[in-house]
Amino acid sequence: MAKNNKQLSIFFIIICLPAFIIISPDWLKINGISPCWPVILLLPFSLKNPPWRAASAAIITGIFVDSFTISDASYIPSLFLLSLVWSQYGLHNKKIELFLNIGLMAIFGTAFVGLSIWVQKIIMYSVLRNNWFHSWSMYVVISEVIITGLVAPFFSSWLLLTYKKN
Amino acid sequence: MIKARGNIGFHLLLKSRFWVIFLFGALLFGIRWTKGAGYLDLYSILLKPILPGTAQREWIKEGENIERNIRLKLLEEDNNRLRRALALKEFNSNQRISAAVISRSSRNWWQLLEINKGAKDGVVKGQTVIGPGGLIGLVDSTTPLTSRVRLLTDPGHQVGAWIYRTKRHGILTGMGTNRPKLIFLNKNNLVKIGDAVTTSPASTLLPPNLTIGIVQYVNEKALPSPYAIVQLTASPEAIDWVQILRNNG
Repeated sequence: MAKNNKQLSIFFIIICLPAFIIISPDWLKINGISPCWPVILLLPFSLKNPPWRAASAAIITGIFVDSFTISDASYIPSLFLLSLVWSQYGLHNKKIELFLNIGLMAIFGTAFVGLSIWVQKIIMYSVLRNNWFHSWSMYVVISEVIITGLVAPFFSSWLLLTYKKN
Repeated sequence: MIKARGNIGFHLLLKSRFWVIFLFGALLFGIRWTKGAGYLDLYSILLKPILPGTAQREWIKEGENIERNIRLKLLEEDNNRLRRALALKEFNSNQRISAAVISRSSRNWWQLLEINKGAKDGVVKGQTVIGPGGLIGLVDSTTPLTSRVRLLTDPGHQVGAWIYRTKRHGILTGMGTNRPKLIFLNKNNLVKIGDAVTTSPASTLLPPNLTIGIVQYVNEKALPSPYAIVQLTASPEAIDWVQILRNNG
């Protein structure tokens, strides 16, 4: 069973994640912003696995996502922290596969990832420090949170149920 | 008697060819004075049905375009020769690689394009990428078959630019929106809304005189340095094909 879960997560991280990021279909976008796929894929895995496994999955996912971006800010720190929190939550709560519960966790997770990248960009580029609340950053965070909140309840809960069945 | 003679004289005048000659002379004078305007107008009215139509007008325009292209090529060659003499970067239009956009992320945290030409086709990191309208970004990384283009709008992305009219330099900085910020290096730039922003003709990193955008807003009082907001002439959100300039690699 654990082997099946592992295979499933490897399949999603190695095959689906790059495909989602590269293809990024227009019908799955809000204002040109696509969902935060690492959060959607990592959330069910973290909820169903112990912290060390969730954290390693977060690092692998982070490395994968970072390879599809311009290498300055990284997804790894935020995904690492989120995976630990979600894993702890998953260990102590039984009814985690609830539809809205998953959506809400994905929303907070996406907001956290967005804020982490925002802060990293501000630290890295002195030009962006003149005005901290850029309209662009707010725009990206809000759009990403909305679209992830819409996609996650379907995708992540299905993935979580599949992990449970396995 | 005298009265009768007068009547006869007037009658003769009416009947004689005097008026014919007078009118002919007046006509000639009129034609000469107006430089044949009547004739020309009449000629144009008669010619109207057989004047060149839309298709012919397009042919003429096409001919004009060909002539302009030839002139442009000659001027570019001349410019390159002079730039070579001054040891500046050349702008050689023959060394362009056309590539299709295969993936686009023009509004997200990272604003980039993935294109279908890579190291195998001679694309190198740092090369300039242009689209219809002008400069859109620089090559950030390459794989054997693809390249990643970092757009000018990407937050924190900086390239040198200058205002053609005032000949002042600045640093064009991406702010995430479609309108990057042009941060000037000194005060009193005399920049006006509507000024064209191009790459510097003396640049050693980018090809010279590439159109970047138009100044939309100027803040001369900003601290620590004045800045302008630039509207890009090329829209990365709508571009499907780009060209990579090989000669600044």
